Amino acid sequence: MSTQTKSPGIALDYVKTIGIVNNGFNGRGFANPYDIVVGKDERIFVLNRCDPARAAAIRVGICTMDEEYLGEFGKGNGTGDGQFIWAVAMALDSQERLYITDEHSHRVTIYSLSGEYLSHWGKAGAGDGELNGPAGIAIDSSDNVFLVDQHNSRVQKFTPDGKFIANWGSLGSGDGQFNLPWGAAVDSEDNVYVADWRNDRIQKFTNDGKFMAAYGSSGEDEGQFRRPTSVAIDSDGFIYVADWGNERVQVLGPDGAFQLLLRGEATVSKWGEDYLASNPEERAEREVSNLTPELPAHLNTPYHISSQTEPYFWGPVSVSLDRQGRLYVTETNRHRFQVYQKR
Amino acid sequence: MINNDTALMAHLLRRAGFGANREELEQYLAMGYDGAVDALLNPSDPGNMPDDLIRRYHVEQSELRDLPGSAAYWMYRMISTSCPMEEKIALFWHGLFATGYAKLNQARSLLNQVDMFRRSGLGSYEDLLGDLSQDPAMIIWLDNNENHGSAINENYGRELLELFSMGIGNYSEDDIKECSRAFTGWTLGNAEYMAIRAAKDSIWPYGRIAWHFDYREEDHDDGEKTFLGETGRFNGQDIIRIIVKQDSTARFVATRLFQFFAADVISEAGEKAVQAMTATYFSSGYKIRDMMRTLFLSDYFKSEEARFARVKGPVEMVVGAIRMAGSYQNPALGIEKVSNTMLYMGQGLLQPPTVEGWHEGSEWINSGALVERVNFAAKELSDVRSPGVRSIIDRLEASADQGVLDPSDLADGCLDLLGPIQVSDETRSILVEYASRNGDLDLSDHQPGDEAEQRVGNMLRLVAATREYQLA
Repeated sequence: MSTQTKSPGIALDYVKTIGIVNNGFNGRGFANPYDIVVGKDERIFVLNRCDPARAAAIRVGICTMDEEYLGEFGKGNGTGDGQFIWAVAMALDSQERLYITDEHSHRVTIYSLSGEYLSHWGKAGAGDGELNGPAGIAIDSSDNVFLVDQHNSRVQKFTPDGKFIANWGSLGSGDGQFNLPWGAAVDSEDNVYVADWRNDRIQKFTNDGKFMAAYGSSGEDEGQFRRPTSVAIDSDGFIYVADWGNERVQVLGPDGAFQLLLRGEATVSKWGEDYLASNPEERAEREVSNLTPELPAHLNTPYHISSQTEPYFWGPVSVSLDRQGRLYVTETNRHRFQVYQKR
Repeated sequence: MINNDTALMAHLLRRAGFGANREELEQYLAMGYDGAVDALLNPSDPGNMPDDLIRRYHVEQSELRDLPGSAAYWMYRMISTSCPMEEKIALFWHGLFATGYAKLNQARSLLNQVDMFRRSGLGSYEDLLGDLSQDPAMIIWLDNNENHGSAINENYGRELLELFSMGIGNYSEDDIKECSRAFTGWTLGNAEYMAIRAAKDSIWPYGRIAWHFDYREEDHDDGEKTFLGETGRFNGQDIIRIIVKQDSTARFVATRLFQFFAADVISEAGEKAVQAMTATYFSSGYKIRDMMRTLFLSDYFKSEEARFARVKGPVEMVVGAIRMAGSYQNPALGIEKVSNTMLYMGQGLLQPPTVEGWHEGSEWINSGALVERVNFAAKELSDVRSPGVRSIIDRLEASADQGVLDPSDLADGCLDLLGPIQVSDETRSILVEYASRNGDLDLSDHQPGDEAEQRVGNMLRLVAATREYQLA
């Protein structure tokens, strides 16, 4: 199975898949993960969005690249200190404090990487510094915090403790306008990128919000997007996009030109192997099954294909990068992430 | 005085949909009755809440792993569609071809079945039975994955004849066997692995894997079969071709459609409509759409006798109240609780109690269910913050002289705008007496949530508690 389009500019090698579905109990596995950040010590922090029926699993899980599960932290579902209702995205500042957005509570909650609740800020509203559905979050080299304020159709810039600095954007599809924007990222020059979700494009701004460029249009061809949710930029300026509605990841060059496409090639994680080892009857039938089947025409959409094709991305909501040039693709509907290494 | 055109259109929309607020009613009235029937029976763009929005906010409705989120996903569709007949016919087939989550542990595929009902539910019955027989959820539900050329499993073949078409007494045990032989090899992809996962409710390692149809030629019994007097090397499609031309099948389909869309009990006058639908079944080439047109245009359906002749099913009750109130216009926490409410009333979406579906009509009403029904509708319709209720308040104000309604105006206005609903003299006098306790209602300067608006909310709450509101 080949799911990569090779190009001279960049190549990514599949490394592994980490994860298993967690039904809400403590312990390894993930529950509809929505984002990943990687600490300086290479610990991987996974944000479990989950749902009201399994509220106990709304938390941050921690693991390593060697698939050692280190534990989890969080204070459950709600609006109390350290709690979440609809958690969306995470970012680390220079002190490795972990910022987590909650689009239902309209606030940002800050934890230490040891799992200690530190503080939260954010107030519902439409005025300067007020929030309506904060989604993506990115932090620049000066620790300025950029929040995608989705229902206010804008990006807002804050100090780390939540003091308003600036904002830009309005509802629309013109340059600098947004329609339910989602993910955010900054590059090595502190430019700001936004996944303009319902406009099917990525927008690039200067650090103070001047429009620089827009990449992509609606569709399924290379360089086109369906509801991009997340964006990340590596040290060479390559732009990674979670093309969520097309159930794939695309990489653009620094100039925004299409470079590479991933459809997903998940293998069984170590935790998955443990499960199958203790369920030999299931494993035996799985081994003779075709998990990349041809589907009838009425199921020939990216969503349906991914719902039946286990190795493919299903709900690839977030793209994250670490200092080693590794790409982490978080899959909400498969409770796992796939790791790729830049060559 | 209730306008008869309006009352008739409201009747049509309670049956071909989930009731209608006054704005919707006026849109359909502008088409005329026949035009409205055509529009309802030829769904175009449903304009329902888009999947991308639902998936973004409800991860459980993106993955569709479990029952509550999956039922809520269908709820959103029914609440927000502008083609209500498409959902109503899907709900009808869901009750008739009752396939339940409990055995499947596979909500995505169950919802794919519902999608199939939307696609094929108004087309020819022959095509619908063909799609049903290739539906992976149905295949697992009635064990056709265990129906092999070397050893048949009669479960699907038996129910196809007994519950999905001709009805008991119109075929022999040998016909069941021959029918089952014809469906050998009709299975789903990775059938053995998927059956184990379903039986164990396995979600590991990476959640559910949805299902698709697969035909295994090597497992199909290609030998000669004799079915209902015809002989040949029949495959499943041949069996369906024979089934759909039987008088008993026509009668079965017409009766079940009538009981769901017209009246719980078939009266003498109703019998004529059933016979007309049966005739249309054959003359149209088994087209459900044409049968429904025959019903909706019949004298019986338009008559007073057919009005309020059905007990609303829980889904109709809940969806109708939400659509009237205008709540849940966007993805919101709490929708899964609403879908659970229908379960407490006796009708859990995607979880019919048995292969026979739900027992409808008066069996929907027992003391526990009635309390749930009244409480839910009363709560929805008395919330003066809801856009649909605000619209009712504005219309009441506009209809009143100087914005002032006397107690009769208030009771009659609320009955009109929630239907029109026809109530007994006794019920009406209770409503008027209640309204009289606080004298005339002055809405001329009403403000959101003020006492005047609350009085409207209270009257709507009381109407929702009437016997007549329980009927469609």
